[in-house]
Amino acid sequence: MSTLLEVSGVSVTFDGFRAINNLSISIGQAELRAVIGPNGAGKTTFMDIITGKTKPDVGRVIWGPRSLSLLDMSESEIARQGIGRKFQKPTVFEAQTVRENLAMALKNPRGPFDVLFYRKSRATAARIDEIAEEIGLTDDLPRRAGDLSHGQKQWLEIGMLLAQDPQLLLVDEPAAGMTPAEREHTTALLVRAAQTRAVVVVEHDMEFVRRLNCKVTVLHEGSVLAEGSLDHVTKNQDVIDVYLGR
Amino acid sequence: MTRSFIAKNPSVLWFLLALSVFSIAVTLLSEATGTGLISTSFVKTLGKTLCLCLIAIAMDVVWGYCGILSLGHFAFFGLGGYAIGMWLMYARTELIVVESLANAALPPTDKEVVDAIASQIFGVVGASEFPLIWSFAHSLTLQLAMVVLVPGLLALVFGWLAFRSRVTGVYLSILTQAMTLALSLYLFQNDSGLRGNNGLSGLQNIPGLDAVPQSVISIAFFWASAVALGVGYVLFAWVVSGKMGSVIRAIRDNESRVRFLGYHVESYKLFVFTLTAIVAAIAGALYYPQAGIINPAEIAPIASIYLAVWVAIGGRGRLYGAVIGAAFVSLLSSWFTGGSAPAVNLGFYTINWTDWWLVLLGVSFVAVTLFFPKGIGGLFDLIVLKPVADRQGDYGPDKGAWRKEEGEP
Repeated sequence: MSTLLEVSGVSVTFDGFRAINNLSISIGQAELRAVIGPNGAGKTTFMDIITGKTKPDVGRVIWGPRSLSLLDMSESEIARQGIGRKFQKPTVFEAQTVRENLAMALKNPRGPFDVLFYRKSRATAARIDEIAEEIGLTDDLPRRAGDLSHGQKQWLEIGMLLAQDPQLLLVDEPAAGMTPAEREHTTALLVRAAQTRAVVVVEHDMEFVRRLNCKVTVLHEGSVLAEGSLDHVTKNQDVIDVYLGR
Repeated sequence: MTRSFIAKNPSVLWFLLALSVFSIAVTLLSEATGTGLISTSFVKTLGKTLCLCLIAIAMDVVWGYCGILSLGHFAFFGLGGYAIGMWLMYARTELIVVESLANAALPPTDKEVVDAIASQIFGVVGASEFPLIWSFAHSLTLQLAMVVLVPGLLALVFGWLAFRSRVTGVYLSILTQAMTLALSLYLFQNDSGLRGNNGLSGLQNIPGLDAVPQSVISIAFFWASAVALGVGYVLFAWVVSGKMGSVIRAIRDNESRVRFLGYHVESYKLFVFTLTAIVAAIAGALYYPQAGIINPAEIAPIASIYLAVWVAIGGRGRLYGAVIGAAFVSLLSSWFTGGSAPAVNLGFYTINWTDWWLVLLGVSFVAVTLFFPKGIGGLFDLIVLKPVADRQGDYGPDKGAWRKEEGEP
């Protein structure tokens, strides 16, 4: 399995606090990966670094077959490279309809003039319907995104990620605030997405991680504590000490 | 799916209809082309109001749709006015100078003509030579290009610097205000090359049209302003509909999220800022020949703040709201400040509206912001039947609410 994303030796300090400490992780082309860790372990900061929101003090972030450095790119450039992100709190554009939200995310040229002269086509409409089907929001396409339930917003955001057609999906706590049925749906969606692309899930909930049934990376104080199957890491004494034991 | 632009934006059709009816009515009532019920000066006021409506929709796009509270758009309006004013003054002074030199013993050389024009125009600030910025003033075509290019370039450079450093919110507003203040202070100087605080005057006299009465010129400018407003309205309605509108409103609501979708937010802001600046400049170029005079006070920060007040009172985020706000407040303002509003005698104190109008305006602004955030335009929501919420999904947004499966069939 070839590497899609290579994070090596990355450190970030916020006002003297070391949020990420010499972190190295590599993600393969089509892989589902769960990142777990106690609060303040640096999970979200890790995503911020990949998506360009936070610039690390030292270290390298290398992306894709052409080995580009993500550190020199702006957030929007990184997104155009094929890295999509779902935030912890569902952030959809509440004043706009579900269809508009998906249309905006759909993979298309992103320049102002491309967008100004953009014309809807049968193909894009079909693609939006397809995604809506997948996230179970077909009937809700004309509704305002703000009127959706919390779980539906989470799905819409996942749908927007799928619409971007990224090679790497970074998903922050996708199951937060969902009912058991919604969680199951979300798990199935992520597992299916990971067949064709890399998916990194940051999660607190061990039950949810178990259901994903994938390789797990445990973060602690900004660096990798253990890596392997969930059973493997839960047996690790260090992990038990810092995380599960408490 | 592929409904026409008009079908998706019915307000455009209604607006154009209302504008046409209004323009024809004014034409039929004017002194030059109708019954004479409306005086020439009031036709000019109405024509100027249409220009203010045009800059108001530009403001609505940049503020109401894109979320950039620019308090400097009147700078672009003023620059447009100065650009056209330079040609008007030059060409008119040239005619006068040529006429007076025609009686001289020797026919004047070109240089003598230019020098005479310069001393005519700049005598008032004690100069007698054309500064560099007047290089194109002799040509209407070039100066019309300046109407668009100068404000457009200023907006492009200013916007690029501001947006690139991610200045947003109130800091950006202050920055735009500083820009317009700096520009107006610069123009106040006598050696700025634009006649300092005297400004440019006599702009209502169109060169070569001395024989045409002002009543006819006023109606011509009125129509030009109406057409510009109509075209501007359609242009902006097109920009803010469809996918561009979707992205622009998304930037207003959550700019960093738009970034993570792969859109270069700064380019979009720059596009909107520059486009609206150019439209503001065109509005200014139509306004000042009707006003007759432009001076640096016109682009003082207060003008741009008024603009924001009009748009807020009219209703942000809908183009017709901005038009209503600008027309309503600016006409009301000239009624109150013109001394036509009857004073209110309270027994112990008499309210003279010329003094109290600003207080009334300020109170209305606060009241609208607090109690009617949708502004006057929001009244239209009461008339238009809104589609009933399409309840096909779950019964409510709360976790405890019934899911779709649990509901009644």
